[in-house]
Amino acid sequence: MPGSTATHDIELIIEKKPSNGGGGDLPPVDRDGGGDDGKRPRRSKPSPKRYYTGMALGIVSILMFFMALASAFLVRRGSGDWIPVHIPSLMWINTIVLLASSTTLEMARHRLANGQLRSYRNLWLVTTVLGLLFLVGQVAAWRMLAAQGIYLASNPASSFFYIFTGAHALHLLGGVAALLYVARRNFDQAQVTRTVAAEVTSHYWHFMDALWLFLLAVLYLGK
Amino acid sequence: MVTYDDGSPHPAPASFLGRYVFSTEHKTIGLQYLWLALASVLVGMVLSTLLRVHSSWPDTSIPFLSNIQNTPERFAAIRLLHGSLMVFFVLTAAPQLGFGNFLLPLQIGASEMAFPTLNLLSFWMTVASLGGMTASFFYPPETGINVWLASASIFCLAALLSALNFTVTTIDLRAEGMTLPRLPVTVWAWFLNAILSMLIFSVLLAGCVSLLSDRLLGSQFFSFASFLAAQPQNLVRQGSLPILWQRLFWYFAQAEVYVAMLPCFGIVTHLLATFSRKPVWKERLVVLALCGVGLLGFCVWGYHMFATGMNPYAPLVFSVLASSLGVPAAFLLASWLGTLWEARLQLSCAMLFSIGFISLFIAGGLSGIFLARHDLRSAAVSEDFVIGHFHLVMGVAATFAILAALFFWFPKLFGSRLNEPLGKIHFWATFAGVYLIFMPMHWLGLLTQSQLLPDASRAALASAGASIRTLVTLATICTVGAQLLFVLNFLQALFRRSPAQESNPWRATTLEWSVPSPAPRNNFSAGKPTIYRGAYEFRPAEANDFAPQHLAPELLSQQPS
Repeated sequence: MPGSTATHDIELIIEKKPSNGGGGDLPPVDRDGGGDDGKRPRRSKPSPKRYYTGMALGIVSILMFFMALASAFLVRRGSGDWIPVHIPSLMWINTIVLLASSTTLEMARHRLANGQLRSYRNLWLVTTVLGLLFLVGQVAAWRMLAAQGIYLASNPASSFFYIFTGAHALHLLGGVAALLYVARRNFDQAQVTRTVAAEVTSHYWHFMDALWLFLLAVLYLGK
Repeated sequence: MVTYDDGSPHPAPASFLGRYVFSTEHKTIGLQYLWLALASVLVGMVLSTLLRVHSSWPDTSIPFLSNIQNTPERFAAIRLLHGSLMVFFVLTAAPQLGFGNFLLPLQIGASEMAFPTLNLLSFWMTVASLGGMTASFFYPPETGINVWLASASIFCLAALLSALNFTVTTIDLRAEGMTLPRLPVTVWAWFLNAILSMLIFSVLLAGCVSLLSDRLLGSQFFSFASFLAAQPQNLVRQGSLPILWQRLFWYFAQAEVYVAMLPCFGIVTHLLATFSRKPVWKERLVVLALCGVGLLGFCVWGYHMFATGMNPYAPLVFSVLASSLGVPAAFLLASWLGTLWEARLQLSCAMLFSIGFISLFIAGGLSGIFLARHDLRSAAVSEDFVIGHFHLVMGVAATFAILAALFFWFPKLFGSRLNEPLGKIHFWATFAGVYLIFMPMHWLGLLTQSQLLPDASRAALASAGASIRTLVTLATICTVGAQLLFVLNFLQALFRRSPAQESNPWRATTLEWSVPSPAPRNNFSAGKPTIYRGAYEFRPAEANDFAPQHLAPELLSQQPS
């Protein structure tokens, strides 16, 4: 047992780096860009990996939230007091607006990667405006429903309709805030590059887009 | 929002606010969670004593409570407060958020959590939720339950943010050479638990939000009248709405057990190896078993959440799943016993509490087998049996793991050691006490089913029941009293901090023991550590019987013994 670990250790050294006899001073490879070894400039930017991981996990978490609601929807649908809600036609237009915003965002990201900063800024702005337009459209759609006398408390179907669209709108509002933040932020001093911030934000935005299509499908097919 | 670990030393903030209230430092936040848990556990214990006293001697007037109405609702409210404090702020907070926040970055060789600001935010949300849940006790029941639900939602959000932080930190911030197989089992447990929390708490959040919306805005997610009519008979056997709500709550409690227990499994495995001076027996299997507990825990609970409403066979499947949890649990148990086997045990307080944990886990787990059988559950036992079961296996066992961790890591946390002889007296008093409380409770649960028996035996059983109740109450008072020994020990160690503490008093292998005690502000001031070997390389045969993870092989022979 001790013998086996010793060989293991030796193999490790050969494979990792030559030993200089003073193991404590081995300059470690900077996995997270910490730059703790004092040889790197103090304010080196940390590796952005954690932001991508964090966003991926956050997306899983948000997805679970909506999946719980969707499964509750499917279970609850079987009850007698269920009066289906007809999706307002405005929401289909909103969907096109949201899809368009994802497209412009992707174009903006592409421009940023090519260094066309000015064009990137314009497209980013267009995306933000489209996002806001979607939110305004959603509010208008709610008002149309309210005009027909369908409120949150009317019946289970309307309750689910409002919580689906409302929770999604709230999450999308967060996305708009992120878009504005990335647009306004001065990245000279920041610890993340503009590219990283733009990419992480776009992941969230595209997820919101896909989530909307999913929710719409649930509402449409499940009514 | 942009948080980072740029490697430059954190300047120590001068002001009180900067140092304690708005500190984003993982060790400060970890300690704050532990203080929160300590305060909650003390209040929670006092509440449980009140509950026992009231059920044994209903006529006693209690000074603090005499001005709060003496109604069944108030009794229920005390139970709710006791449960919420213990479950949310002790069992969930201490092993995962308290010790996890303090130790995870140290054990993987990182200088901070991945998102320190998020960590700070999540801590203060937890505090807000604690405040809300406590406040809900003082409101009338109708308002109180709304406040409670809102607080639970905030707790869910906080737990989600923490879980995200833990997961990203473990994935992305490990030091050079800290490959996954070399992670200490504690880190595995915190990591897996974070993943489980991320799935569970987002669903619970959805449930809380919809229920709150039902109560405040009149939406109809849980308005059951017509929903119940469409359900299979077994679900609505008792036919009333509170039963359904009760079930919903227990679904959560089921998952909560795993969230509370997973980090405890990690802590106990870690401590047993250190004090047995042997590697963890079948370490990979232990990690697999932890994955299994997490996965099955999620399935059992997800099953409840998603399918019970539709499926008439639900109780049966639940029963199979709940019983199959025994498989990973048996693996863990086998590994613990395998580690202890033929070891030269060092029976420090931390080790005693770890062994106590195993004992309680076995005792509580055995009665769990009865409860997992759905046909037995309704026929043979009453509430007392269930209370006895989950207090042993979840409440007390987890508390023992927390205490073990506290005795073990106290030097790293505060820079002094808890008094061992006093700790041992405390251990034996508590160990005997909890068995004296919860074993008779199982018994009580069986006795109260006496209507199944002929009349002649009933009278005798009734008087036996009364005396058992008194015994339980007296045992509770004594056990809660014995905790004063711990408080004394704790305060004494806190105020007698010696400046020169050895950095590795237990001769442990993991990374947190490579830095001075208490852990310095920037964790690894001498540069990022490099990891050369697994977490449990104890070599019982050799004079120098342990190989720290961070020590280069050529330095190993020069290591002071």
